[in-house]
Amino acid sequence: MNLDAMLRDKRVIVLCGAGGVGKTTTAAALGVAAARAGRHVLVLTIDPARRLAEAMGLKENGPEPTTVPPERLYADGPQGEGRLDVWMLEPRVIFERMVRKLSATESAARAILDHRLYRFLSELVAGVQEYAAAEALDSFLTDGHYDLILLDTPPSRHALDFLEAPGRLARFLDDRVISLFGPDSSRTGRLWQGAQALVGKVLDGVFGGGFAQEMRTFVGAFGGLFAGIRLHTERLRAQLASKDAAFLLVTSPEAAALREATFFKDTLLARGLPFAGYVLNRSWAREDGLAPAANLKPHALNAVDTDAVLALEHLAGVEDARATAHRSLLARLAEGLPLGAMAIAAPDAGADLEDFRGLVHLGEALTVA
Amino acid sequence: MDGGVVLDSLWNKRAVLVSGKGGVGKTTLSAAMAVAAARSGRPVLLAELSPDEGGPSTLAGLVGAKDAGAKVVPVRQNLSFVRLSAAEGHRQFLEETLPAKWLAEAALRSRALRRFLEAGPALKEMGLLYQMLTLVRRTHPDGRPLYPLAVLDLPATGHAMALATLPRSLLSLIPGGPIGRAMREGLDLLQDPKRTGVVLTTLPEPLPVSETLSLAKELKDVGLPLSVAVLNRLPEDPFTPESLAALGRLLETHGPHRGQRALERLERAREARQRLQAGTAVPQWGLPDLALTGPALVERLSELLVPTLEEAAHPGGREATP
Repeated sequence: MNLDAMLRDKRVIVLCGAGGVGKTTTAAALGVAAARAGRHVLVLTIDPARRLAEAMGLKENGPEPTTVPPERLYADGPQGEGRLDVWMLEPRVIFERMVRKLSATESAARAILDHRLYRFLSELVAGVQEYAAAEALDSFLTDGHYDLILLDTPPSRHALDFLEAPGRLARFLDDRVISLFGPDSSRTGRLWQGAQALVGKVLDGVFGGGFAQEMRTFVGAFGGLFAGIRLHTERLRAQLASKDAAFLLVTSPEAAALREATFFKDTLLARGLPFAGYVLNRSWAREDGLAPAANLKPHALNAVDTDAVLALEHLAGVEDARATAHRSLLARLAEGLPLGAMAIAAPDAGADLEDFRGLVHLGEALTVA
Repeated sequence: MDGGVVLDSLWNKRAVLVSGKGGVGKTTLSAAMAVAAARSGRPVLLAELSPDEGGPSTLAGLVGAKDAGAKVVPVRQNLSFVRLSAAEGHRQFLEETLPAKWLAEAALRSRALRRFLEAGPALKEMGLLYQMLTLVRRTHPDGRPLYPLAVLDLPATGHAMALATLPRSLLSLIPGGPIGRAMREGLDLLQDPKRTGVVLTTLPEPLPVSETLSLAKELKDVGLPLSVAVLNRLPEDPFTPESLAALGRLLETHGPHRGQRALERLERAREARQRLQAGTAVPQWGLPDLALTGPALVERLSELLVPTLEEAAHPGGREATP
């Protein structure tokens, strides 16, 4: 399968990768390509670089996805059927939505949202960004409004943090932890009461009595959402394991690429998730088809010109060594790929990627690869 | 101020925090700085601060540390390594703050409490910070610090900011009690430009520089003292201003030739230098793009860093840009 077919057939494509490898740009370019091919596309992104956000016409902290104006999407030709929406994930907004959706009553939702600890939740709980990404993805997949959702996962040193984080948050909201704090009366074992008393002592000692009490009321209120959160997590997992989904690893030639890439592939396969392949960014693996620098020699008119050509030849040598290294990296990525998975090199677009036309070109280059 | 003086002043701090977005060579730079400081005769603790403690440690591999874990291990002369661990920080914290030892032990045996400490709001970062503070505080019997200089490899930016803002957030949450005290001490250390310096690493490309400029602003907002901005993997520049101008004319007439991509990269690097210089009020280092990886790259970079320290002792030497 190639990227073109993937953009036509899948319902969700998850882009994973370390920070700084151009994941957001890749997600945006693929979104542009899919929309121009006629699909109704949503790109979910976290913390895009400012100029990229501007190129897409993305509003910061918008409560809803922003639609890329058709005249921008189809600037170079007749307008098609496709549509492109972009949304910058704002954990605060997504959490609030989730709390409202899962709470039985408005007053139950308010008990959480108005709690003093709530406003610290999204900045303090590890994995909130990742959780928000998962929650937003689940919500959009479930309402079926879009043909294709591209998820730009939060940057992480390990590409699979995105899959682990909801688990981490779920562990915090584990019913056992919650019942330690909450006004739980269903468990009456002596051991359990002992544990609760112990936790009470420790928390009072460490945090001071007032905070421990605050924590109890907060966790107690949040506890009611746990069943709903677990349901979402499981539903999303099933969606992501289906043939409608694809996981791509975006990587760069640096970032200890090979080791991380292999680890990513193995982990996905071990979990039964559909691994679709690698996109190698910022590489010079593609041929540029230019004439050798030495061809300029006959045109050098003086000593300075000659120096200039020699310097360019030197640079061309450096470039060639780098391109060769990148090609062999790409070849090694392609070894041992499961059937149907791909390893493709994106063109090194350098500085051109910060406007919309750059995204159109990159999207085209990726889909004909 | 030249590079050598900056380096010298960095070596005299208690904590050097190496930060930057992922993929910019931050971990390699942390290792190289620690090796360079150790070579210059200063006892250094290289600490890895990683949100996922389970995976393999790249940093340990770079300096050749075996048994990378929550205990400090010697690596070479003057250099020790530790992988900070939230669980270890929690253990130390509970032991030091709870009135009875049995209570701390019982608490650590409680699975539910362990889970809560692992996943509760900010508690993981608190554990990491606490272990770091404990290590910085540790002294020889005569009162000299055991680790006068700690070089910290901070995780990808989001978490680095979380760590930086954590003491404040926790203080507003829990102003009193032992956590409040520990966080105030942590904040005092991190915000003191005499004792703490932040090294911000980036690549000479437009997007990474944009991101670094906004990170520098965020650091300023939380009161962390930025010491130096590092442009890593600077491409080699074989041109004089005259030959570059001449090449421009030739290419304009005869079209692009091979080397074009390297040429564009060089141009972007030039702009990156200027933008970073204009956008931050701190000294800038450029590190060359070397065809090395892993421990060999760490050694070479540390060699580039050490001579400038020696030159700094002899003012009038050539301009020091490690």
